[in-house]
Amino acid sequence: MSDELKEQIRDFILENYLFTTDKSALGLDDSLLGRGIVDSTGMLEIIFFIEEQLGVKVKDEEMVPDNLDGVNKIAAFVAGKR
Amino acid sequence: MTSLIAAIESQARRRAGAPALSWHKATWNYADLAGAMARVSDALQSRSVATGDRVALLIKNSPQFAAAYFGVLAAGAAAVPLNVQERAVVLARQIEHCGARLVLADPTHVEFGELGKQLAVAGVAVLPVKVQDTADARDVFCESLGAPTQRGAAPEIKPESLACIIYTSGTTGRPKGVMLSHGNLAANARVIANYLDIRADDKVMCPLPFHFSYGMSVLNSNLAAGAHVVLEDNLAFPQVLVKRLQDEAITAFAGVPSTYSLLLGRTKLEEFDLSRLRYVTQAGGAMPRQQIQALRAALPRARVFIMYGQTEATARLTYLTPEKLDEKLGSVGQALPGVEIEIRDTEGRALPAGETGELVARGPNVMLGYWNDPEMSARSVRDGWLHTGDLAHRDADGYIFIDGREVEMIKVGAFRVSPQEVEEVLAALPGVQEVAVTGLPDELLGQAIKAVIVPKAEGAPTVMAVKAHCRAHLATYKIPKIVEFAAELPRTSSGKVQRYKLV
Repeated sequence: MSDELKEQIRDFILENYLFTTDKSALGLDDSLLGRGIVDSTGMLEIIFFIEEQLGVKVKDEEMVPDNLDGVNKIAAFVAGKR
Repeated sequence: MTSLIAAIESQARRRAGAPALSWHKATWNYADLAGAMARVSDALQSRSVATGDRVALLIKNSPQFAAAYFGVLAAGAAAVPLNVQERAVVLARQIEHCGARLVLADPTHVEFGELGKQLAVAGVAVLPVKVQDTADARDVFCESLGAPTQRGAAPEIKPESLACIIYTSGTTGRPKGVMLSHGNLAANARVIANYLDIRADDKVMCPLPFHFSYGMSVLNSNLAAGAHVVLEDNLAFPQVLVKRLQDEAITAFAGVPSTYSLLLGRTKLEEFDLSRLRYVTQAGGAMPRQQIQALRAALPRARVFIMYGQTEATARLTYLTPEKLDEKLGSVGQALPGVEIEIRDTEGRALPAGETGELVARGPNVMLGYWNDPEMSARSVRDGWLHTGDLAHRDADGYIFIDGREVEMIKVGAFRVSPQEVEEVLAALPGVQEVAVTGLPDELLGQAIKAVIVPKAEGAPTVMAVKAHCRAHLATYKIPKIVEFAAELPRTSSGKVQRYKLV
C-alpha cells in the first residue's frame, strides 16, 4: 500500500490523539492500545475517520486489533478493501 | 460484621486453590491474594504507616491492585485508589488533598515520572510495585515490596474506621473525596452478593475501573462470595470481549450504559454461545428503556439487573429484580434490604407515590462524609440521611423511578424539563445510537434544549425527523430547539455523559 495512505493515517492520529505534527512521535507499527494512545471512544473515532475520510466501511466483525491497532495495520486493512 | 479482609482470609483458608482474579495469562487464587495482601500490610507497617493514615494507589486493574488495596485496609490504613487515566497534576492534587504520605505506584504508569517529581517536592514517599501479567507476577510483586519483617498481629478492623477515600467524578464539576468505612464496604458487598446470588463458582468479567465505586463493588462483592473475577482491560474491540464471554464460559458481566451501547451497536451477541452467562448488571447512570429491551433480546438467557446508587452510598442503593423488568421497565427497583429510602420535597417532607422529589437514603452503606469538607458533608448527610441530589418518584407499588438530577433540569420558560426524559424519547428513534440533551442559554426562554445525537452506522435521521418524533411523544416545550450530530458524547472517565460539555 502507498506511503501516502500510511502518512494520512499517521497524521490523523498525531493530530487527534497526540496533538503534535512530529512524525517521530508515532511509529508505524506502534500499538495504539499498548501505548495508551487510543481507548474505546478513540477507536470509534478512528473508525469514523476510516469510513468518512478514507471511504472504507468497517464491519463489526472487522473491529479487531489485527485490522486497527497500528498505522500499518489500518493501512493494510484499508488498502485491502479498496 | 465480618470485614472484607476477614472474608478473603476465610476463603484462603477454606478454598486456597480457588481462582480469585485473572488478568491476561495470570490467575491468582485466594491463597495467592491473601498472601500478597499480608505482605503489603507488613510492608506498610514496617514503614510506620499508622492506623487511619491514607495510602494512595496508582495501580491499574489487576490482581496486584486487589492485593495492594486490601493490604492497605489490613494494615488499618485507608486506601485512596487513584484514577489511572488521570494526569500527574490532578493526581498530585488528590494526594495532597487527602494527606497521603505514601503512594504505592506502578512504575510503568505513564505519569509515574512526572508524579514522582511533584511528590518529591511535597515530601510524599513513593513505593514502586511491580505489576505484571506473567505467571510469576505474584512473587515479583511481593519482592518489590521488600523483605517480609514478621510483624506482630495486624491492627483490629473497626467497622466505623475509615477504609477508603474515593474521589468521585461528579458530572457537574470538581471531584470530591468520599470517605467509606470498613462497615460501609462490608455491608454493601454482602447485600449485593445476596441479591445477585453470587456463587463461589461464578466467573464474572469486569471491564470497569476499580477506582470508581461500581467497579469496586464488583471486586468486593465477588471476592466476599469467593467467586472468580476476570479482568477485561478495554472495550476498544468489543468483538474480542464477547468472544471471551463465550470462550471462557463467563457467568456474569458488569457494565455501564456506554458498555452495553458499544456491545449492542458493534457486535452481534446472538451469534455467540453465551448460554453460561447467568446475569449482567447495569449501573452508572440511566440506560434508556429501549436499550434495556435490546439487551434483554440479545441475551435471552441472562437475567438483567438494573441498579442505582452513588459513591456516597458506597455503591448501591436500589436494584430491580430482573423478573420485574416487563412490568416495571424504567424503574431502578426498590431499596436494598437494610436501606431505607424516602422521596422528599424541598421542605424535607416525605412525598406520596407519584410525586417527584429528592431521593434520600439511610443505611449501613451511607458514607462517613467528604474528606476534609465538613460543610459539604453536612449538606449531603443530615441526621444519617444521605441527600443524593437525584430526583425520583415512587409508583403505587413502591418502585422507584429516577427523574433526573436537580442540577441538570433544563428551565424552559415556566417549565422544568428533564434531559433524561427527552433522551429516552430520542433513544427510540431509528438511526439514533446514543443521545444526550442539555440546556443552552436563550434570550427569550431562559434556556433552550439542545440534543446531540450519535447516529447508528446505517445512517442518521434528519433534523426534521428528530423534531417530528419529539413532537409526537413530548409536550411542545420539550422539543429540542437545536439538534446536532457527533461521533461520540463527552464522558467522564467512569463513562457518565457530561451534559455540561454539550453546549
